[in-house]
Amino acid sequence: MPRPTAPYATTRFVKRIRMTPLSKNTPSNNDSSQGQLPIVEAAGPLLEESLAISRRRFLEAAGFSLSLAAMSGCGRAPVETALPSPIQPVGAIPGQLQYYASTCAGCPSACGLLVGTRDGRPLKMEGLPGHPLSSGGLCAVGQALPIGLYDSHRLTGPLSAGKPAQWTTLDQEIVQTLKQINEKQTAIRFVTPTITSPTLKANIDAFLAPFEDSKHIVFDAVSSSAILDAHEQTHSTRVLPHYRFDRAEVVVSFGADFLGTWISPVEFTSDWSTRRVPSEQVPEMSYHVQFESRMSLTGTNADLRVAIHPQDQGPLIAQLTEKVSKLAGISLSEPLSPNIVDRHESALAELAQRLWNGRGKCLVVSDSQDVGVQRLVNATNHMLGNYESTLGLQRPSRQRQGNDRDVEQLVEELRAGKVGALLVADVDLLHDLAGQQTLVDAIDRVPLTISFSQREDEFATLAKYICPDHHPLESWSDAEPVDGLISLAQPTLQPLGDTRSVLESLAAWSARPTTAYEALQTHWKEAIFPRRQAETPNQFITFWEKSLQDGFIETRGAGTVVSDFDTSVIKPLAQQTTTNDFSLVLYNKVSMPDARHAHNPWLHELPDPVTKVTWGNYVGVSSNDARELGLVDGDIVQVAAGNEAPLLELPVLVQVGQHDQVLTVALAYGCKGTDRFAKIGPQWFEARPTVEENELVGKNAAPFVEFRNGTMQHTRSTVTLTKTGKRRDLASTQLYNSLEVPPEVAPHGAERREIVQHTTLAAFAKDSHAGAAVHHHETGAQLWPEDHAKTGHAWGMVIDLNKCTGCSACVIACQSENNVPVVGYDEVRRQREMHWMRIDRYFTGEGEAMSIDHQPMMCQHCDNAPCETVCPVLATVHSSEGLNEQVYNRCVGTRYCANNCPYKVRRFNWFKYEHDDSLQNLVLNPEVTVRSRGVMEKCSMCVQRIEAGKIEARSQGLPVADGTIQTACQQSCPANAIVFGDMNDTESKIHAALENPRRYEVLEELNVRPSVSYLRVVKNEDEEPHRG
Amino acid sequence: MAETEQQQPEPAATEASELLRPTLITGGKTPADVTRDICAPMEGRPTALWWGALSISLTALLAGVVAVTYQIAMGIGTWGLNRTVGWAFDITNFVFWVGIGHAGTLISAVLFLFRQKWRTSVNRSAEAMTLFAVVCAGLFPVIHMGRPWLAFWMAPYPNTRGSLWINFKSPLLWDVFAISTYLLISAVFWYIGLIPDLATIRDRSKPGWRKSLAGIFSLGWVGSARTWHRYETVYMLLAGLATPLVFSVHTIVSMDFATAIIPGWHTTIFPPYFVAGAIFSGLAMVLTLMIIARKVMQLENYITVLHIETMCKLMLSMGCIVGLAYGTEFFIAAFSGNPYEQFVFLNRAAGPFSWAYWTMVSCNVMIPQLLWFRPLRRNIAFVFLISIVVNIGMWFERFVIIVTSLHRDFLPSSWADYTPTIIEITTLIGSFGLFFSCFLLFCRFLPTIAMAEVKGVLKNPRRAAKQDSSKGDAA
Repeated sequence: MPRPTAPYATTRFVKRIRMTPLSKNTPSNNDSSQGQLPIVEAAGPLLEESLAISRRRFLEAAGFSLSLAAMSGCGRAPVETALPSPIQPVGAIPGQLQYYASTCAGCPSACGLLVGTRDGRPLKMEGLPGHPLSSGGLCAVGQALPIGLYDSHRLTGPLSAGKPAQWTTLDQEIVQTLKQINEKQTAIRFVTPTITSPTLKANIDAFLAPFEDSKHIVFDAVSSSAILDAHEQTHSTRVLPHYRFDRAEVVVSFGADFLGTWISPVEFTSDWSTRRVPSEQVPEMSYHVQFESRMSLTGTNADLRVAIHPQDQGPLIAQLTEKVSKLAGISLSEPLSPNIVDRHESALAELAQRLWNGRGKCLVVSDSQDVGVQRLVNATNHMLGNYESTLGLQRPSRQRQGNDRDVEQLVEELRAGKVGALLVADVDLLHDLAGQQTLVDAIDRVPLTISFSQREDEFATLAKYICPDHHPLESWSDAEPVDGLISLAQPTLQPLGDTRSVLESLAAWSARPTTAYEALQTHWKEAIFPRRQAETPNQFITFWEKSLQDGFIETRGAGTVVSDFDTSVIKPLAQQTTTNDFSLVLYNKVSMPDARHAHNPWLHELPDPVTKVTWGNYVGVSSNDARELGLVDGDIVQVAAGNEAPLLELPVLVQVGQHDQVLTVALAYGCKGTDRFAKIGPQWFEARPTVEENELVGKNAAPFVEFRNGTMQHTRSTVTLTKTGKRRDLASTQLYNSLEVPPEVAPHGAERREIVQHTTLAAFAKDSHAGAAVHHHETGAQLWPEDHAKTGHAWGMVIDLNKCTGCSACVIACQSENNVPVVGYDEVRRQREMHWMRIDRYFTGEGEAMSIDHQPMMCQHCDNAPCETVCPVLATVHSSEGLNEQVYNRCVGTRYCANNCPYKVRRFNWFKYEHDDSLQNLVLNPEVTVRSRGVMEKCSMCVQRIEAGKIEARSQGLPVADGTIQTACQQSCPANAIVFGDMNDTESKIHAALENPRRYEVLEELNVRPSVSYLRVVKNEDEEPHRG
Repeated sequence: MAETEQQQPEPAATEASELLRPTLITGGKTPADVTRDICAPMEGRPTALWWGALSISLTALLAGVVAVTYQIAMGIGTWGLNRTVGWAFDITNFVFWVGIGHAGTLISAVLFLFRQKWRTSVNRSAEAMTLFAVVCAGLFPVIHMGRPWLAFWMAPYPNTRGSLWINFKSPLLWDVFAISTYLLISAVFWYIGLIPDLATIRDRSKPGWRKSLAGIFSLGWVGSARTWHRYETVYMLLAGLATPLVFSVHTIVSMDFATAIIPGWHTTIFPPYFVAGAIFSGLAMVLTLMIIARKVMQLENYITVLHIETMCKLMLSMGCIVGLAYGTEFFIAAFSGNPYEQFVFLNRAAGPFSWAYWTMVSCNVMIPQLLWFRPLRRNIAFVFLISIVVNIGMWFERFVIIVTSLHRDFLPSSWADYTPTIIEITTLIGSFGLFFSCFLLFCRFLPTIAMAEVKGVLKNPRRAAKQDSSKGDAA
């Protein structure tokens, strides 16, 4: 007898959650969003009325009445069996994946999310196809949400003074204190990171309204405050423009890692990549220049990457502005920068010309936290006519709202003891403001401190009350990432603990108790529905249902008033003092956008797209500096800012391409409680702990963040570097980083391996096959006749290396889909990471001529697979559809197949990887075997998805339509770089991709005939490529 | 024996025959002396030296057992392997021990067919060594598996799992057959050779376990002409059967590598190269053991400098073949124009594992060249040292082939390092423990020298025969 599945298990829950599946089976059907599935009220009227009773009571009552009815009939019906799944989940078929359209809450970008649930368990996060911003992509952080949901270390209920408490008593106490605060008219401060949810924002405002001195402070740990401030000055509205990289033919970025971490990376990657597809007919693509001091993911993908010192960023922007203004015929009264950097004069001149030629279709962005510099960026974009073309201000972005001035003010208020109540949601104030001394004492003195954190983070430990919020997958919410695009987030399972949505907490304390669902619907009825567009339903319920089913709805903008560009604010930059000391650049890793994800083991073990290092942060040092100082990877150094407190001891990572005299350290590490990962991974006598005793995963670099001129500075000049003589090896998944073999062992004429093939746009325009490797081997002839002809399907994959940015979303997608275990620091250090999909990253050459490549690498499903012939027990065999299949049950673990794999994509289960945490195990995909120790595993091309797609097609009596089967990596690729399909289907996308002149196979000369092929990289450069 | 009788030396021709056929057994031993000398270690109490050696060997074995038990309990992860280097110590040890196991059959079968009389003093222990080495070797393919408890899946046994069968294309499967055949034939060959000697032991022993066991295993040997005739026919046939195995086993072991796609493995030279290497290492190990045994068990008259010198010559020739193979590999790599192949060999010589490569070249090619000098060949201590050096060199040869080829293959992104763990090192030590424990027990309980055969090469067989018959010795 099937038990009622989880989301519908209690009546109380039914009221709070009404989930609407997007479509029946597959997320990929575009027509599925047209809503063949009617929304069914999950519970009937009976249940609506019996909301107050518990599940047990309900079952008792229902059972009793049913048994009565039965007894009156024949008098002996067994009661228990009379109640099969009384509340059948809507459209749920046991064991089948159901998708719910939602919104990702991993960061404020608010990408469209598809939550794949199975038997009431959210398991697989995917991008929402057709979402106007993310266009079906989802980043690694979004993919990794489920493991945070099933985290046994999350708080399961409210705490009062560190002890478990009841919501009712806690509410009473808080309401009491709030009343006193209101009476005394002391200040109340509500701190959150950027909130894109209009409902939550409105509710916070409503909650704060009765208080005399109240303020909602938006604190982004890495903020874009200067951009907003600059627009306040130049356009009189404090907004963040909506950047449109899909419209930009020339992109110039000064430090902004827009493909990796800056504002809305999935959206930007998706947009940027649409401009990176030169075809035979139209050999055109965007031109992307990156000036940066560290090596960012965006920099690795630029056509021209210029390493600059952080202190040169302002002057360079000023010089570019001057050059553009000259072209625009605007004369400036005085030079914009007192400091001149003449090293890049010619490059800037050429760039200015290119920008000018592409005016209205270009974009200049900067991550500078100097308002003056951002004003110049605005001026440049204004002169180039980019506003309302590549930068939208009429419908601005709300993805970063942080106001550093407010934060600075809050710190002062706290120190002055002026704050009566401090409420903090979704941000660890103490961790991210670790540079502010005496803040702990100041916060301790605040009469009422409430944390909404899901964990006992640094602030929460200090707070009087912890009112844990739901995990995003458990709660109702909405988001308006860009003015006029509003999306809904629906819960996909009943909260696992006794947690409560912030909306509900606020409602309870302002004496208007309501559920999050009601609060949301109310706000939508009042504020969102009136903004509806003509073509959207004009009945609220249909409007709501459509939004819920689609996941988002487009409405009219909220009416942002933007004034014309005020040229008077273009002022020269302030004089800088140049130093020869090290400058420290603080950044976020792609895998760790903020401290909230510090408890996510998938993200910790995700190799950084640029450095390939897992587990923890490190000090990036340029190769010249490392050589001078005699530093190698893993040497522990001390970074200090002057003689005062900030001090950091971290291992060194030597990063090529990083500017000399620059040190880089990632933020959002060293978070409280991450010592829980000390024993993650196999424990045997030689195993080194992932976290050393009394330490945490990484170190917190936030003490180096300082406030200057009203913004938080993520670069800090004048830091010192001292060797300590200690070492800790970095757990890196790639030890050799170049396509050129070491010179001392390089055969003549084969110094470089043509694994990633390149060409330039100029060469491509002349010959679309330019850049192909020349082989002296004939691979057309076969020794044996084709012994397994693939007459049915022939699955294959083509990856466009020109689109792929290396963002690594696919790595986590694969990990989530295929139950790839987390193995811990020591195993990664021993080169035993288990990821089925990896991104190879190569730095070849030096300086500005360096070519940086990302190459996703997984099982190539070779037709002449070297692994298949060597297995003594036939544990790896070829399918009739061209897949190379691994039979775990049969594998005895000789590892011969892995040795013989030229792509080294096979992964061996060296140990029995931990599966002890039964809550954590809920994250496992039941469709995929959890491998035991001693067996080999590898990419299966998501064979479970292929089979599900085939079964679905067969049940409908139709052939498998192209695009209905998507592999996990392909589904969430933000750049849409992966094409998968049936190569025998002449109408398919993959069939077209196979004809692409840029297509090549890696190690083609071995004649293993891989089913996966790649599209050559084309750099937008004029000259011929350096190498064949 | 027929041959020996044809070669009865005339007293006048002694000197000439000494030149033609040197004295193999010194000390003017009679057949009775032979029996007495060779049975002595079995009949007396073991010496302190033997006990010492056995306790060291057993300690090593015990350490190995602990290491392997831990490894099987925890997983292969307790070895230093990684996603790139999937084999290292395990298969190195396997190939090393299989190689050691080659000299035995070579000496007993091939040299028997070539009528090399000097083999009689060493063939028994060489065969025993073969057997123990193959047992050690056979251990590694089993313990190197991720799931060793399923090792029986490698056998083509009828099962109820539908069409589940083994992969006859896989060289690992060929290994299974090659090694098991070799073990079986070697064991049979060794046992057949033992039968006359077992009968001698039976006849000499007082009633007790030794007598009854020897009685059972000597299969009712009476020493009649008919028995001898059949025995020699069988021995000859088995020698003929075992001879191809000397070449086939290592040929097939080499195919584990040669049929793979990995540069540095994928080489057609491997079969002869591996066979020569195997014989080379086997001879070195025989020398190591013989030099110890003759000293410990006072067998100087049976294993003479002549034997050692002859084996040195054989070893030198094999060392030269191996050296030629090393050179050929480089030449072919350069000549082939295959950049991956060229890279692998440059990487061996100048890459991160160049120390291992140069250890191999010095131990296997350079140092053995000293054996060209006769005084050095006849210097027992020096030969002992050389034999150890060659053993080390040959172990490194397999290590170099396996690890340096794997650690840097096609995609530079996957290049990795390799460092063995304590568990791997202990397992290697344990395999030596197993080998020496078996060998020491063999020395104690079985005749280390084929008495019957040695008696056939004594210089004065007539006198010997008379004395033998008066004593009623079965041989």
